[in-house]
Amino acid sequence: MRLTVNGVEREVLSPPLTTLLDALREELFVTSPKAGCQQGGCGACTVLVDGEPRRSCLTPVAAVDGAAIATVEGLGDGDELSTVQAAFHEHYAAQCGFCTSGFLMATEALVARSEGEVEREEILEALSGHICRCTGYVKIVDAVAAAARGDVNADRASADTGPQGEDAATVIPGSPA
Amino acid sequence: MKAVGARLPRYDGLAHVTGRTQYVDDVRVHGTLWTKALRSPHHSAAIRSIDTSKAEAIHGVHAVVTAKDVPHNVYGHLEALGVPADEPLLAADDVRWKGQPIAAVAAESEEIAQAAVEAIEIELEEREPILDIRTAPATGDEHFHQWGAIYPHFGPHNHRRVRKGDIDRAFDDADLIVEGVYRPQAIEHCPLETQVSLVVPEPSGRLTIYSCTQAMYFSMGVVAAHLQWPLNKLKFVGGTVGGGFGGKVDTATETICALLAIKARRPVKWRFTREEEFLCSSTRAPWHIEIRDAVTNDGWILGRRTLTIHDSGAYARFSPYGLTKHAFHHTGAYTIPNLRFDGFVVFTNRVPTTAMRGFGVTSVSLAVELHMARVADLLGMNPLELRLKNANRIGDTTGNRVVMHDPSTVPVTLAAADAAGLDLAAEYRSMTQARRTGDLLPEHLVAQQAPDGEDLATYRGANGGGR
Amino acid sequence: MEGSVDAAEVIVAASPQEAVEAFGDGRDVTVVAGGTIVMPEIRHGRLHPRKALLINRAGLDGIRRDDGRIVIGAGTSLADLEDAVEPLGACARRVADLEIRGQATLGGNLCAPPGDESPRGDLQAALLVLDAQVRSAGEGGERTEPVEDFLASGPAGRLVLDVSVAEPDAAATATVRRPHAHAYTVMRVCAARAGGQTRIAVSGAGPTAVRSRAAEQAAADGAGAAAERVLDDVTLQDDAIASSWYRSQVLPVLVRRALNDLAQGDR
Repeated sequence: MRLTVNGVEREVLSPPLTTLLDALREELFVTSPKAGCQQGGCGACTVLVDGEPRRSCLTPVAAVDGAAIATVEGLGDGDELSTVQAAFHEHYAAQCGFCTSGFLMATEALVARSEGEVEREEILEALSGHICRCTGYVKIVDAVAAAARGDVNADRASADTGPQGEDAATVIPGSPA
Repeated sequence: MKAVGARLPRYDGLAHVTGRTQYVDDVRVHGTLWTKALRSPHHSAAIRSIDTSKAEAIHGVHAVVTAKDVPHNVYGHLEALGVPADEPLLAADDVRWKGQPIAAVAAESEEIAQAAVEAIEIELEEREPILDIRTAPATGDEHFHQWGAIYPHFGPHNHRRVRKGDIDRAFDDADLIVEGVYRPQAIEHCPLETQVSLVVPEPSGRLTIYSCTQAMYFSMGVVAAHLQWPLNKLKFVGGTVGGGFGGKVDTATETICALLAIKARRPVKWRFTREEEFLCSSTRAPWHIEIRDAVTNDGWILGRRTLTIHDSGAYARFSPYGLTKHAFHHTGAYTIPNLRFDGFVVFTNRVPTTAMRGFGVTSVSLAVELHMARVADLLGMNPLELRLKNANRIGDTTGNRVVMHDPSTVPVTLAAADAAGLDLAAEYRSMTQARRTGDLLPEHLVAQQAPDGEDLATYRGANGGGR
Repeated sequence: MEGSVDAAEVIVAASPQEAVEAFGDGRDVTVVAGGTIVMPEIRHGRLHPRKALLINRAGLDGIRRDDGRIVIGAGTSLADLEDAVEPLGACARRVADLEIRGQATLGGNLCAPPGDESPRGDLQAALLVLDAQVRSAGEGGERTEPVEDFLASGPAGRLVLDVSVAEPDAAATATVRRPHAHAYTVMRVCAARAGGQTRIAVSGAGPTAVRSRAAEQAAADGAGAAAERVLDDVTLQDDAIASSWYRSQVLPVLVRRALNDLAQGDR
């Protein structure tokens, strides 16, 4: 079987009833989709299948033979985060981060099919299958709304978490003191 | 302090949004085997026999472990804190909760591991389970726990006690006694990441353990104790937790994985299914809390009697510690001078309970606040004004005689009233956390008040031992 | 390993004919449509298919009109049914969440085995009140039968090809939902009026949805009378979702609401 994962065609040797989640994680080492419940109830495994958000844990890989699969690993590029990624980072929409991959892909699909601003109700409806035990959802919804508006700073360098401010003493070996 | 008040990015934020955060299940080590456990189908049963030979013979199975494979099977999570050991890593003579692990298998795939678990032959003799903490103590010698129904190691007592002032006098002097029973129930932590660990045997003979634990050093000690290994033979890799909330301190998978890895000479991973997480992982404990307050018509709480029963489940784990914290907070944010608190840890045939955010304190806070509402209701008093009147103030002492230096009850209650748009009488609206004087220092509160400027080390009030 | 899911014969049908041929008499065949019910069973080792027939690419989806009836392919997703004829649309809109609806199918929902711990078959009640005809293949060849008969004889051994319904004059539905991360339907009453006849069906009270003829007959005397009779036809169950007592208390209320809405001509 073949899958195009984040733009790269990959051969898949897993047995045909292997879930897409297991094929991605165990055979292709694409580990951003997570095994939260393995029964479609939590959304941590959501990926895009031909642009549509789907539970990879419910999808036999044979059913998507030849399809284009998009995961978090394919978002943004080296220098820039995607708008959705930047929004989630800026709005503190992730704490432990385990649910984040699923939310990101569901949000990418929502933003792609919307034109500009998205109403809060529509955000809740689109993401209702995703469970987060850490954040209480408020910041996630804020992030999604900001992403839909395009109201983010996608420059990855500015998202750097290095030492802050003039008090941060950085000693670089080989440099003058 | 330049960071306080500044908007800083999370140090792990970039990794989370780029899918690069590496949880235990994302670690890839060549040759990793999968684990499944044989778990008790009964709440309570004696183990008559166990035969793992058929499981071991299945092609693709690399190791099966039972109690006999554990060098030190019964180890207490809090032995270092004076809580003796009572819980086996793998059940030996009996099973005391539905889901308790009896054996574990490491195999080439989850499917093979599960087939092997089903091939283990075991003979269990079911016993009547004990499930209600209120009636458990009456079961006497029939109780399943070697210590009996009630945890007996609170010093010389079988319960945690707080005694302060003269509780009988308080109840004699009261205009009204207000009673309430509060029973907050078990809560499953339900982190998105289930319990998981990956143990890799190194050529040197050490083990590298990838763990989702919230308490790496603690878990390292637990594994070392069960294996009877020195700590320097273990390397823990962790700190990345997909949600714990207190439920990932029990070292649920690491030790059993380690035993399998040693026996199989292969890396071994154990990832709980969601079903296992719900049914077999520890939960926040259920509690039974009875409060009786001696109150005056004008809203003073003269004294409080409290009985707490904490459901430890089948083993002690951290329960005595949780109950102790609960005891310290049983007056809540309020100053009550006469106290009699008795708290019991009781064993039932349920999943052993553990910490969860606010361990021990959330239960008593819930009970106290509900009870304050009840007191206010029966006195016909504004519930905020009742709280303000009895609020902790500078120089007040807690139930266990800690002197308050900066209690926040008054400013927080006033802020809450503001936020909710609630009216308060002028005398309450103007209250502060300052030391009690005048009308705010009636006779019954004098003895509990620490002399001005004194702290716990020097304070010796008239309240001595109390009754 | 013997009986391993990895050893299952898997057919991905590329046309309806291929699906029918591969299904044969249905013996020992596990049909996978959207996978939302079957895949967790397989993944957790509760179901070991010897032969799995994947129909998501078999051209069994799509909605068309034929001779006054609406014909819905068994592979049609619930997402594509959100604007379907009422009360089917209302039921479809309320199943799980957007992602599940994108892959769950009408056929899978119709054939859902009863669930003890999670609700299943939400669409069955709507199909019952819409006088649905189920066209299926299997032993003895192709046949078309009323959905009531299909449910009663059990879906095992049948491969549903499509379901046709008639557009009613009026339709209504009343439900009680469990507030949750994604709210799900605990119990539902559907009602539809066509050609002067009222049909009432209940889902989520027992193992499958059922029509309540007793309630239908009493409906002539008003919503209250119908509500009192509905329990005659429904076997209530106790499960993790709700107790039979709860169902007995709430079901008549739902009947009353649905019939009141129906009387107002709500669609």
